[in-house]
Amino acid sequence: MGSIAGGGIMTENNKSALRRFLCRPGTLSFAILLMILAGWEASGRTGLLDTFFFSMPSAIADRAWAMLINGDLIFHTLRTGYAYVAGVVLAIVMGVTCGLAMGWWQKFGDVIDPYVVFFSAMPRIALFPIILLIFGIGDVSRTIIVFLGVVFPVLFNAYIGAKQTPSLLIDAGKVFGYSHNKIFTAIVLPAALPYLIAGIRIGVTLGIILIVVAEFLAASSGLGQQIALTAQSYQIAEMWAWVLYTSFFALLIVRGTDSFEKWAMRWT
Amino acid sequence: MGTGSLELIGVNKSFSTPQGSLPVLDQISFSQNAGEVVSIVGASGSGKTTLLRIVAGLEAPDNGEVRLDGMSISGPGPERALIFQQFGLMPWLNVLDNVLFGLKTSGLSSREQEERAHDAIRRVGLEGFEDFHPKRLSGGMQQRVGIARAIAVKPALLLCDEPFASVDAMTRQTMQTDLLNIVTQEGASVLLVTHDIEEALFLGDRVVMFSSRPARVIEEIDVAIPKPREHSVRTSVAFQEQRAMVWDLLQAAAL
Repeated sequence: MGSIAGGGIMTENNKSALRRFLCRPGTLSFAILLMILAGWEASGRTGLLDTFFFSMPSAIADRAWAMLINGDLIFHTLRTGYAYVAGVVLAIVMGVTCGLAMGWWQKFGDVIDPYVVFFSAMPRIALFPIILLIFGIGDVSRTIIVFLGVVFPVLFNAYIGAKQTPSLLIDAGKVFGYSHNKIFTAIVLPAALPYLIAGIRIGVTLGIILIVVAEFLAASSGLGQQIALTAQSYQIAEMWAWVLYTSFFALLIVRGTDSFEKWAMRWT
Repeated sequence: MGTGSLELIGVNKSFSTPQGSLPVLDQISFSQNAGEVVSIVGASGSGKTTLLRIVAGLEAPDNGEVRLDGMSISGPGPERALIFQQFGLMPWLNVLDNVLFGLKTSGLSSREQEERAHDAIRRVGLEGFEDFHPKRLSGGMQQRVGIARAIAVKPALLLCDEPFASVDAMTRQTMQTDLLNIVTQEGASVLLVTHDIEEALFLGDRVVMFSSRPARVIEEIDVAIPKPREHSVRTSVAFQEQRAMVWDLLQAAAL
């Protein structure tokens, strides 16, 4: 009797566990993805969607696999990734340093502020032609354009973050005998951290857009260059493979930033 | 304890505003003996907090002098600790690290710092919460961290700026009793600023009354209730009489 009742409860639990799994946002997101892919494939095969422009998931997967095997995928990822990472790292170092300095030395900040606003508003890609003229086609030009994209949001947020450190916390530091420098490292820096991370988040996304567009304009290799090249030569399945791969890559970077944020802000 | 005697001599302070100079403190003079608890009571905005910030060394008086154990003060110092109304805890540090925050400049070895911090945490009743970040604590518990941080440095003079104004009424009375016990054990001088007459009397050996804007010393009275004080003294006749007296004096000054 007891075992029958127990068994009944078990099935009940299993059923609700399965339901819970099916209702999880992640499961649902994945289901929607499968539906989109299936719909896309079906529309392509029935002629509802012009495969000349839109290709089909199966063809794209086929091309992507070939690109992976022949090493194109890795090669171009590394070409873009190298310039991207270099630009991002330089921008974060520079942006954080200058931004915090501007927030800490208010007068310095007030003087520099209009320039930061001006460059933040400027479409950075507008500078790419002149960068190309000076540095030629290659990693340096791409690194610079990524740097320009990432540095201003990082700098601006670091500036705001340092400036907005609650005076109460600074007073607490002073009361307990913290020196000017110690107040900066022990209070202003951690207080600005949420802003720094927000700036980095905006920056890394903008950096991806800029490097891809820059590679459209002039590059001998890289993800953006491959997108432009395959589109211009009507290799539409390849083009979609590159577009989707690049987007996936961008997603990974954004997710990585999210995890970093979660880790750095674990006290909230 | 022979230290922690405070002397204020003709302290003036005014703030500049777009409308001109706004006097906040007008010729404040009083003195406090070592080990004494002095409550400053006055209406909100009467400049009490400004006075406390001057004694803490966070602000300088326009003229006049503040002396601690005969030495003129000109900035913050390790012999004074401040308990802030809004706690002033670092949100990214846990309870233990927040208490250690005040000890970082003490020159003690990290072992001694840890010992002091754990001792202070125990005395404010926060044992077991060392790993909690402020956000996960109630206002009352956050202020306990603030108190632990201040007493951990073993100051000669403990400054309290409306320490329980941001704490709910029920918790406030418990914490007042706890603070009283802690400072009695410490033997430190305490300068407390509050707008709560009952708090001023319950904690203080002496009450200094401030008029409002600019603050002037209206009157000083000794609190005629022997220590140690239990929560129950609040309802005693003597307590209520003094409370009425302080209230009358403050009212008279406001007219």
